[in-house]
Amino acid sequence: MSESIIPYLLTVVFVSFVINLVIALYGIFARPTLVKKIIALTIFSDSLNSLAIFVGYRVVSGRVPAPPVVVNYTNPQGPAQLAKVAVDPLPQALVLTAIVIGLAVTLFMVKVTMQVYRVYGTTSVRKLERIEHGNRGEEDEGVVE
Amino acid sequence: MKVTDLVVAASIVALALLLSYAMFLGGIGPVPVRSELRTLALNYILLTYNPAKIIYSALAPEGVTAIVWDYRGLDTYFETAVMFLAIISVVALTHGCKVRIGLGKGGMSLIVKTTTRILMPLIVLAGVSITMHGWLTPGGGFQGGATIAVATVLALVTYSIDTLAKHGIRKKILLAMRSTGLIGIALTAVALLIIGLAVGVNAYIFQNQERIGSPLAFPAYFSGTPTGGSLLFYNLFEAFAVSAGLSLAIIVTSLREEEVKETLRGEGVE
Repeated sequence: MSESIIPYLLTVVFVSFVINLVIALYGIFARPTLVKKIIALTIFSDSLNSLAIFVGYRVVSGRVPAPPVVVNYTNPQGPAQLAKVAVDPLPQALVLTAIVIGLAVTLFMVKVTMQVYRVYGTTSVRKLERIEHGNRGEEDEGVVE
Repeated sequence: MKVTDLVVAASIVALALLLSYAMFLGGIGPVPVRSELRTLALNYILLTYNPAKIIYSALAPEGVTAIVWDYRGLDTYFETAVMFLAIISVVALTHGCKVRIGLGKGGMSLIVKTTTRILMPLIVLAGVSITMHGWLTPGGGFQGGATIAVATVLALVTYSIDTLAKHGIRKKILLAMRSTGLIGIALTAVALLIIGLAVGVNAYIFQNQERIGSPLAFPAYFSGTPTGGSLLFYNLFEAFAVSAGLSLAIIVTSLREEEVKETLRGEGVE
């Protein structure tokens, strides 16, 4: 039973990540508010990071897989023993930098949104577009005169 | 919460479970469950700490840090540069804003302040510990630096932006710290190259241990414990730079409305 349920649970995890990505994309494209777009974007990047970690996962029969750390490094056979139970370290290394960059970029987007709100009094892209159209209309009139 | 929200949530969960079951039964062919490592991952794990094959090894027991700062060091350097570009952009958006002392109301209650005073050194210590064990256990400069930045956030919320400015945590100092960290990383990357030029032997950029055609190496052990060679320096400078950079970005993001609006109107700019 436990052996056959593991592939099903792994599939559930995989499908959940994909559905999460789709919902986050909907949030990015369909929600008009910049704040909600940022929230959806963080959900998107976190799902993608988790998916990358999931790609590096492996099933080790009879135990939980180990992190890619050579604990028994004084033993010359330590790395070979670890290779039998460890997960893939490469996705973890890539995700590590992606998370920190993501944090900095999110801070930047939050800051831009705050400035937009201070200047225009709204964070809805639709209202912003209307305001921008209004400004352009005034400029055109100025040219005609 | 509306009933429609619940229905939508339940149907999404049902979709996930049913779709997984269809895939599990072979709806899109057999689902591969990986039980073997990829060859690339196997190489990383076998070589990350391998004194017998030193020219391929980083001599650091922690595989992830070895990949981040040795095998893919140049990659990480430019990723760090992207991060700092984002932080510089945040700072540039509030160019000219100044923290005015005496605007705030002095922060939260005495209980919260005392708790923060006890917690803050512990958070910083945890961050330093995560950084200084980055080549032995999961952790490293990014994680340690982000942990240290949490202490700044805590102080910012509990006290006020005034108090931070009074205690010397200012934009200029944080910018200088951040730049020092980045320069340190760049210097570590070319350190062996400079030594190689001086001594007259070959060396590579981002070189850590001996490589083919180059006998130079960072010291790999400190009193019998592996230090990961250059990984120690990268982790230290990275923690320095990340903690200062994130603290700076958070402080700049939490500037008060009065200060920012003054600048937007053009009054605060000298």
